Amino acid sequence: MSGFLGELLRTGGVAAAAWIAGWAASPAVCPPERAFRFERAAWSWAIGAGMLAAIVPLSFVAGMVPGWVAFGIVAAAGALAARLAPVERVPRAGTAATDAAAADRWLWPLRAAVAAGIVLYALRALTEPMWSNDYVAIWGLKGKTVHAAGGLPRRLFEDPALGFSHPEYPLGLPFLYAGISFLTGRWDDHAMALLFPIFQVATLAALYGWLRRRRVARAPAALAIAILACFEPLYSAYMTGMAEVPLSLGLLLFGAALTDALDGEPGALRRLAAASALITATKNEGLFFAAAGSALALLLGGPRRWKAALSALPTALCVQALHLAWRGRLPLRDFALASFSMARLGEALGAALRLPGPAGWGVLVLIAVLLLLGRPAAEADRMLGLCACGLAAYLTLPAFAVRGPEWLVATALPRTAAGLAPLLAAAIAARYRASPAGSAAVDPADA
Amino acid sequence: MTRRGAAGAVAALLLVTLLLVQPWSEVPRRLRSVSRFAPRELAVRRLGGSGTAFDRNFFAFLENARRRLPESAEGVAIYGAPQAEPYLYLASYVLAPKPVRLAPASLPPGWIAATYGAGEPPSTHVLRRWDGGSLSAAVP
Repeated sequence: MSGFLGELLRTGGVAAAAWIAGWAASPAVCPPERAFRFERAAWSWAIGAGMLAAIVPLSFVAGMVPGWVAFGIVAAAGALAARLAPVERVPRAGTAATDAAAADRWLWPLRAAVAAGIVLYALRALTEPMWSNDYVAIWGLKGKTVHAAGGLPRRLFEDPALGFSHPEYPLGLPFLYAGISFLTGRWDDHAMALLFPIFQVATLAALYGWLRRRRVARAPAALAIAILACFEPLYSAYMTGMAEVPLSLGLLLFGAALTDALDGEPGALRRLAAASALITATKNEGLFFAAAGSALALLLGGPRRWKAALSALPTALCVQALHLAWRGRLPLRDFALASFSMARLGEALGAALRLPGPAGWGVLVLIAVLLLLGRPAAEADRMLGLCACGLAAYLTLPAFAVRGPEWLVATALPRTAAGLAPLLAAAIAARYRASPAGSAAVDPADA
Repeated sequence: MTRRGAAGAVAALLLVTLLLVQPWSEVPRRLRSVSRFAPRELAVRRLGGSGTAFDRNFFAFLENARRRLPESAEGVAIYGAPQAEPYLYLASYVLAPKPVRLAPASLPPGWIAATYGAGEPPSTHVLRRWDGGSLSAAVP
């Protein structure tokens, strides 16, 4: 096992260093509360992964070779920022930890299901070097080119023959691949697949932590992460290497931060700004979600809606502006505004309806029943609103596809829609939170 | 049954469904694949994987070409391979950061021709040849 195992340990070491650096910087976005510890763990990975990616362009701009020195400087800057401007602790009203003991007997089977989901995905992700079409043609190709060239060749954006690699896509994931390779000293697209189960674990931690902090009892919160951990359409071998798994973590952090911001939770505006930057750097629709979140805040929010709306956009626009400055304005390769017609929209919706198959429809019906059985809750509605915006965009976009609606529905809809799963899981589970006045109130600190 | 109880039952059913539809039959094959390929070098692991299943000989050809490619090559033109997306994508990935074209009409200056199989393009001389392909450069 020495070949692969050695490289896996090396990549794992870099991931651990990134997580520690993220942990040191995380007080800048997460309050030092026990109730935040799961979310802080997730944020630590998101920040650490962001640092790994960020050292690549920053080093190029500084005329350095990306490496441990650059990573040390960025990590130190993050830790310093957290020390100088931490999120303040806000005293919370004490609530009794009265999770129903009867429900707790389900925790062990649920934990086993979570563990099974994680182990199965790790096995799927790590069986072989990352191989899916979009990894080879887009994300991996750019990351490998940046690493091997020791720079960002202009031809990645200007060579018409490289149009298939989608020069208009954001560079966050290629920079992450390149950053890890600069730190490990080699390009190993097998060991690097380890990132994806880590993204999965971070997503589960973020979901569980947010639900517990939002007064969802242990059993339903554990059930939500067990269902998500076992959601194979997202955590599949095929998706490993592509942007949907990292984006799904970013969208969950963004949705949670948006909801927190509207409720005045400490540090929420910073989390919102950070998540907004992360999703925009990961996929083109990140900017759309940032704008949709901003609009939703204005539409559904209360007295804090303007603050939330204004925090959701600037960092996303900054990331977009940096991309524009670096690579210029590039058209979306697969879409043309003039292609749209109602007939094509109908064609896209028809193709989408035919897509799931009997088992898929069964799962969708169960999800719909869960949604309907829950009680309306403001935080759930916001998450659901964001999710609905994403789904509406993913269903409408095929009508603009130059290669035809059916083609885009078949090739993209299953994976892009799967990326909404963590957000939807949060929206549904939040509808089962304990009533603040009820007997089932829980102390988030007891998570 | 209460509303919460019903929701719990539906959620449990959803979880069981998701567990049942997991590709369990793949697990032994994946475990065998990991234990068989893990000690081997990275290129061999990719050769035995899904991404090269459309034409494993083509990946072997690309890897041989990559290892023999002169440092000074400014790009690689692939001849003898089908004009299909998977061939272009895999060649571009394996040979990155060198630019890659599939069968251009003429070899750009400084580029190397990599021929899959036999039949190098005209006006080139062979630099390296191996079982399954060759590298050639434009005749000066």
